[in-house]
Amino acid sequence: MNSLWWFALPILLLPIWWHRRKRVQNKAAPMATARFLPRAEPRQTRAWRWSDPLLLLVRCLLLAVLVAWLADPVYPWRGDTLVVLDGADAAWVEREAGQAGLAKAERVTLAPAQALHWVRTHEREWRLEARVMVLGDVPMPASTPLFGRRLEVRTQPRVSGKIERHVYIASERAPQWRRMFAAVDGPEKIVIDETPGAATSLIVWDRPDAPPASLRAGLWWVTNPAAFPELAKARTLDGLRYADSARGRLWHHAAWPPQDVGAARALLDNWQQLHVGPRPFTMQSQVFPASSSVSAPEPSGALRGILLAILVALFVLERSLAHARRR
Amino acid sequence: MSLANTALIAHTQKLDLVIRHVLAGLGHGVHAGRERGAGVEFSEYRAYVPGDEWRRVDWKLAARADRYFVREAERDSHVAVWLVLDASASMAEPSRSVDGLDKLGYARMLLGCVAAIAQRQGDAFGLVVVGDGKVAFTPALRGPRQLQRVLSQLERAEPKGSLPDAGTLKASLHFAQSPSAIYAASDLLDWPSPLSIALTRLRQMRHDVRVLGLQTRAEIDASFSSELAYRDPEREEGVFRFGSDLREGYRRNREDHFGAVSAECRKNDMPLTLAAIEQAPVEVLRRWLRRPGR
Repeated sequence: MNSLWWFALPILLLPIWWHRRKRVQNKAAPMATARFLPRAEPRQTRAWRWSDPLLLLVRCLLLAVLVAWLADPVYPWRGDTLVVLDGADAAWVEREAGQAGLAKAERVTLAPAQALHWVRTHEREWRLEARVMVLGDVPMPASTPLFGRRLEVRTQPRVSGKIERHVYIASERAPQWRRMFAAVDGPEKIVIDETPGAATSLIVWDRPDAPPASLRAGLWWVTNPAAFPELAKARTLDGLRYADSARGRLWHHAAWPPQDVGAARALLDNWQQLHVGPRPFTMQSQVFPASSSVSAPEPSGALRGILLAILVALFVLERSLAHARRR
Repeated sequence: MSLANTALIAHTQKLDLVIRHVLAGLGHGVHAGRERGAGVEFSEYRAYVPGDEWRRVDWKLAARADRYFVREAERDSHVAVWLVLDASASMAEPSRSVDGLDKLGYARMLLGCVAAIAQRQGDAFGLVVVGDGKVAFTPALRGPRQLQRVLSQLERAEPKGSLPDAGTLKASLHFAQSPSAIYAASDLLDWPSPLSIALTRLRQMRHDVRVLGLQTRAEIDASFSSELAYRDPEREEGVFRFGSDLREGYRRNREDHFGAVSAECRKNDMPLTLAAIEQAPVEVLRRWLRRPGR
């Protein structure tokens, strides 16, 4: 929207109009016998001549810089750029850059989650012919990103150690619960703790008595709601009752432990989505073509500081010149 | 002399060269027969100055004193020649057909010729330049040095301002006490004017007053460019336009004015010579110097 300010440039016509000397009397040649002629009206012509051209120049510049400051222009100064994400394998990055011919390009190192957004917001800073490539473990965005310029993304999934999730089971039917947790696959590894500790994130409380008051965890799966008074006022969703207590969040379902595969899968998925978080998914290597439908991103105001300094200097100069003219 | 010669004169910076040229063309027609009596009645010796004629040097005295002395003679005639130059701003009017030629330059040249003739004849001559509200006065003397003095004063005259007022001019009229010939060059556009009053007064004091009215060809033919705007150089008011519709009126006004001037001069017995500055100077000079009635 800021670029609409460029339409204010016709305001430059105002000082030009003011500084135009509108009427210039025709130059009269001396004629000794003019007294024998009748008096004529002095003929005046309109002429484009300027009074105080220096002041006019400064005023026009002042207005132009003011409009530019409001329009907040972006100067395309970046050349070929390689956006390398944190944690990317250095040898792989060198190989890919060499293949793409970008080995000598400028490199920007960013956190994986920010990369595509950063490219999007800064895309007008690249020169027209510059190439941009993103290298690293780019997480899959929720929707297809659109870029105003061509962007190549080459990804390599990061190999990371398995993440452990500690679970404590207090139950008479512990084998049933263990069987369910053993079915969990993926990058996480479920560790069944013998005793609950600080790392325990889930406690399965399948006993009629109440747990000790000191026992805390992020999530409790409870089979006997009588031991937990908070569950009395709990809300229900698909038979699952949930409530918050001082010990942590409580889940209760009447049909626990799950009796069939579907119920177990639903419970594990819910746990994953609501408490563990989505699993990272690396985007596939691909090339985003320049999209013409995408609107330009908001300018970042990179030039505003310089423009403001010029504006102030021009204003001081204009005031001084106007003052000098009046003297 | 052709028009080309006139233009040549207009472009020549050295007044004495031009004068010599004009006088060479003039021949002997204007010279008065009065030969300078170099010893009709001896009065005194004076030291030689460069420019004195060698035949006036007293050789016997030179042999005795080893210096040159010139015999000064008491003159029979005390006729002084006075040159009056109108140097008001209107005299800057240029010729619209010949580049570099204007009324003042032309008047300057003719007055220089008259001065040279007077010097040749041994008459005393002086110069009065009126312009810019002042009267510049060079007293009447004889001799070649006086000629140089007068020529340099003529060259120094600039067309500026208007004529001095009648009081100033009248106070300056004391110069002409002995009978003198007065040659006045002007454009006569201001008439009556302080200058015309002064000249009339001089004529009434029995001086021989000869008036030269300078004009340009464009003024006579009323052929000014209609593209320019004009202003009066002496009256800072208004702008004037020239066009074919105004030509007749201009001509009529001008003829009325100069008719009145001629009548006034005739009434006061002052010979008036009207001349265009594009005319050959010799012709104009001959007409101006011709004795009336001949």
